[in-house]
Amino acid sequence: MIIMKKALPRRTFLKGVHAALALPLLDAMIPAATALAKTPAKPVARLGFVFIPMGCDHSRWTPKGQDTLGDLSPILSSLAPVKDHVTVVSNLRLENAYPGTHDTSNAGFLSAAFAKHTESSDYYLGTTVDQVAARQMGQDTQLPSLELSMDISSRAGVCNNGYACVYSNSLSWSSPTTPLPSEAHPRLVFERLFGEGGSAAERRAVLRSRASLLDSFSEDIARLKRRVGIGDRARVDHYLDSVRDVERQIQRAEAAAADSPVTDLDRPEGVPAAFADHAKLMFDLQVLAFQADITRVVTFQLTRELSNRTYPEIGVPDPHHPISHHGNDPEKIAMIAKINTFHVSLFAQFLEKLKATPEGDGTLLDHTVYLYGSGMGNPSVHDHENLPILVAGGAASGLRGGRHITYKEGTPLANLHLTLLDRVGVRLDAFGDSNGKIEDLFG
Amino acid sequence: MPEVRRGTAEPLPTIAGAAIGLTLLGLAVSQLAVSAQSVPSTGAVATVRLKPDTTVPPRLVLDRYCVTCHNERLKTAGLTLDQIDVAHPGQRAEEWEKVVRKLRTGAMPPANAPQPSAQDRTALVSWLESSLDAAAAAHLNPGRTDTLRRLNRTEYQNAIRDLLSLDIDAASLLPPDDSGHGFDNVTVGDLSPALLDRYISTAQKISRLAIGGAQPSAQTDVIRLPADLTQEEHVPGLPVGTRGGVSSAHTFTHDGEYDIQIWLARDRTGSVGGLRASASHELLVLVDRTLVKSMTIEMPPDGDDTSVDAALKVRVPVTAGSHQVGVAFVKNAASLLETARQPLLAHFNENRHPRLTPAIAQVSITGPYAAKAAGDTPARRRIFVCRPDDARPSTSSGRPELAEGRKEDACAKQILSTVMRRAYRRPIAEVDLKGPMARYREGRSEGNFDAGIGRALSAVLVSPEFLFRVELDPDGVAAGAAYRISDLELASRLSFFLWSSIPDEELLDAAIRGTLSRPDELERQARRMLADPRSSNLASNFAGQWLGLRSLESLDPNVRLYPDFDDNLRQAFRQETELFVDSILREDRSVRDLIKADYTFLNERLAKHYGIPHVYGSRFRRVTLAPDSARGGLLRHGSILAVTSYATRTSPVLRGVWVLDNIFGAPPPPPPANVPALDDTPVAASLAMRQRLGAHRANPACASCHKTIDPVGFALENFDAVGRWRDDDGDSGPVDVSGALPGTGAFRGVAGLEESLLSRPELFAGRLTEKLLTFALGRGVEYYDAPAVRKVLREAEPGYRFSSILLGIVKSVPFQMRRSS
Repeated sequence: MIIMKKALPRRTFLKGVHAALALPLLDAMIPAATALAKTPAKPVARLGFVFIPMGCDHSRWTPKGQDTLGDLSPILSSLAPVKDHVTVVSNLRLENAYPGTHDTSNAGFLSAAFAKHTESSDYYLGTTVDQVAARQMGQDTQLPSLELSMDISSRAGVCNNGYACVYSNSLSWSSPTTPLPSEAHPRLVFERLFGEGGSAAERRAVLRSRASLLDSFSEDIARLKRRVGIGDRARVDHYLDSVRDVERQIQRAEAAAADSPVTDLDRPEGVPAAFADHAKLMFDLQVLAFQADITRVVTFQLTRELSNRTYPEIGVPDPHHPISHHGNDPEKIAMIAKINTFHVSLFAQFLEKLKATPEGDGTLLDHTVYLYGSGMGNPSVHDHENLPILVAGGAASGLRGGRHITYKEGTPLANLHLTLLDRVGVRLDAFGDSNGKIEDLFG
Repeated sequence: MPEVRRGTAEPLPTIAGAAIGLTLLGLAVSQLAVSAQSVPSTGAVATVRLKPDTTVPPRLVLDRYCVTCHNERLKTAGLTLDQIDVAHPGQRAEEWEKVVRKLRTGAMPPANAPQPSAQDRTALVSWLESSLDAAAAAHLNPGRTDTLRRLNRTEYQNAIRDLLSLDIDAASLLPPDDSGHGFDNVTVGDLSPALLDRYISTAQKISRLAIGGAQPSAQTDVIRLPADLTQEEHVPGLPVGTRGGVSSAHTFTHDGEYDIQIWLARDRTGSVGGLRASASHELLVLVDRTLVKSMTIEMPPDGDDTSVDAALKVRVPVTAGSHQVGVAFVKNAASLLETARQPLLAHFNENRHPRLTPAIAQVSITGPYAAKAAGDTPARRRIFVCRPDDARPSTSSGRPELAEGRKEDACAKQILSTVMRRAYRRPIAEVDLKGPMARYREGRSEGNFDAGIGRALSAVLVSPEFLFRVELDPDGVAAGAAYRISDLELASRLSFFLWSSIPDEELLDAAIRGTLSRPDELERQARRMLADPRSSNLASNFAGQWLGLRSLESLDPNVRLYPDFDDNLRQAFRQETELFVDSILREDRSVRDLIKADYTFLNERLAKHYGIPHVYGSRFRRVTLAPDSARGGLLRHGSILAVTSYATRTSPVLRGVWVLDNIFGAPPPPPPANVPALDDTPVAASLAMRQRLGAHRANPACASCHKTIDPVGFALENFDAVGRWRDDDGDSGPVDVSGALPGTGAFRGVAGLEESLLSRPELFAGRLTEKLLTFALGRGVEYYDAPAVRKVLREAEPGYRFSSILLGIVKSVPFQMRRSS
């Protein structure tokens, strides 16, 4: 729960509109200290997942040290400023992604489930960890979760080896048969988060007029209630319940808008041409979403599996997928390492921004846990062993960073998901193919 | 005695001694004693007084053919007929109506049981129906629609179009509606917080779009093309000589400049599909069919197409209002593909049907930039029936700003009461204006006159008087009594039935004058509304739901088995059926023609799919079919055949249920909760469909329903899962299309099925009437509505013209009346 240091008096933002409803005292208005006492001890407040495709070059990814993260490996070097908040995790695997393909790497990353091999509409996977968390954490926020990607177009039909495109399109699934679409257009993400209105002043005005429209509706409904028969009054009361719910949401939005520094941000214009700029914008939107407490669960597909994108800006003129089949050619491996480094640097910038944003008695980074990684290990052989995984943030919940933990070979990635779910308050016996929790991650 | 409000004389028959209408089973009935003219052989209205003792009396028929199973001891299907009083069917109407339906359709007695003679069956049915009708006439039960019924998405969109001359896409603004009894205007009593929230957002957005708003900031709308859309051929609405792309109407809020940006469709690896080094492509951007910019797309020399669509944007000045925005490629002349195998028509996916040429994934329109004041749009002209400057100055004040304010207030009131009259569908009183005027003053004080109107308009659109259709019990009516609904309520029922929208001025005026309920006026208005183009709503909205076409959107045939399927075909399927039903409506043909017709509507894509030659171009046109054509009526439409199939094969069970429910009027019960699992013995896929479903017939628990369901579906086995004709089914040889319907002998194929249905047209017409009545009332049709349905049919005989059925429904008791709570 976001902790506001002040308790706002109700309706400070409404000027000159008589309140037609008398609402009960809302918990959003309870001062911070009391609110904390009701929540579980030191829960993880926010959860995020970032996906990169086609594994990594392990020789340059895996740090030398065990336990304490001494010198960062070449690929992870950009994480130096936030080293104490990052844990590198080795030897996790994704059994259910076998027989290895790109689609199952994407599909399995958050579900740890076996993807039904079909091109048709009878696809079947499993509920992903972010959606399980969202059911718990998304109750009080405007959006239960946010699904982002970098891909403007969508695909249909077969994507790879007889798998329907939903497996490589969708990182998040809210049920075994419900893949969630993601949004890549920064403007549309912004509008989804903050509603319409280009400037902060406009958005405040929009919120004000929403509240007044709601009053309008309630007045009319109250009049209608007097005209309908007794049998229908219960129905009208249900409508009034809905009015109360929406009023609460508007008040929350107003409170957030009044308090947070995001109010001055204007809406992004279009999709930036450069990959790094587009990615940075998508990361910035996540920061905003957290600051305004619009959502607490985010998934972000940084690049698609099978991507053929070239990265001339970092000296990789060849397309990603073919060089990922390096066959141990050192030149190709080096280029893969450059791509990995580039991606990590974008994530590192994001972590730095989270760290620089104060929240409560710490920073945004302290109250947020992000998992960054891939569903594939060695791309050249399409294996799903020793997946590249980073866990960042979460200091307020006891996540100790600055470490490199190597687990027993073959530990399921799902164990990590199960652990994270536990820390947000979802206690399950198992998730996907998990066989236990990862204990030493949280202090 | 029926209790009736409003003191209008009830033109309904009383029981004693009056002529009783009969509808016959289409068989000669020579042994009935008739006191009036002789009875023709097929389904005509006859005036007969029944003397039950000239044929086998009803009681004896029941005892001889029904009571063996339906008795107190066995209680088969929960129906006991041994003790029931058949002399007064009206007292147990619910059970008797079930009996009537089974007897009419021939579902009972079961095929393997002794059957009564045709005369005896007819006599029993006639006796039951006439008694039930008479009992219903004595104690009217028009049923009770919900008091508060929300406008669903379609109705909301149409209402905004008719109220404000503004086209919106409600599907992108409001969540989808739930369906009840097959229609999405039935379970509409809810208003969840999420929905209320969306209504508020939508009202604000519509207000902004309609009025223009004072300080516009750039908004973005994104048009996304389906991923499985083939873009190799011409798209209707775009210039001839182009291919692919999209043409879409977009509402521009202000005069100003707008950015149009295009993204190309990329395949699974991120490369632009269909872009090769050998060819360049010209992309055209058009506004109202005028070329605004042409851009060239070609593969860069280094083969890296990552940024090839970065430059695909243009900033164009546009005036406020609705304009067609089109984006398309110039079609490069290409020689025919000469290959050993017939090339596929679908091109959208790298694996099996790669794109031959680049295609468009998304078009975004952002603006306005450099906006001028809100321009002249149809919506603004509609709303601003006066301007504050035109208002006559107040005579009594000496202070100019007060006069100014009064002028503005007077104009605001005029504007708002005009809008509210149509929006609330009733006359507007001073007290109604209080709320919106308060909102107007808020907006006026923060901005200008237009902003005030905009704020008030949002309040109107959020008012429950707009969002809900309200039907109130009048004061003083006894509980459970039938009363005539008010003229205003009748006007709404009429317009939402025929147009799925609000009443227009003429209809509203008639209702306010109090003349609408007069039979001649009501018929005149209904006919006028049917002739109006808006009645196409019956073809798209009603028929789309009745026939299950909404499932076309999620249709996804297996790409390996049916590789030549794309979104183009999906849309073509829908268009064929909608245009066909609309033609029956426009030409007021008999609804029989829905079952069997010698024409259909095709474009090139669909014609190729069906194998019909000489149809060229993307435009849909009426095509007269050859006598031996495989196409024609609804049962041969690709749309229906595809939505009743699975992704990998046909399903005689789905098709059987579909025909029995939607066409024949004898829906099978749902499978029981404890349906025994079939053995896990796998069935060879190489067997014929009939053999593969053999377990349905072998297991007696299953056979009780499936011996009725499966034969109907088998008759349609000449059509595969995407509606193509086939004589063989893969390895299993020629398809065996022998089938049967309850109450008829066996027949073969779709032609046999059509003939069987047409030999008893009253069954199809009756089912269609029931579906229309459900849609018209917004509630499920119950046993007490059966007399009204029979009356509609009697009056529609023998032609069964579409308009007769529609008018019959409008004139019916359930449509004009309501039961109080």
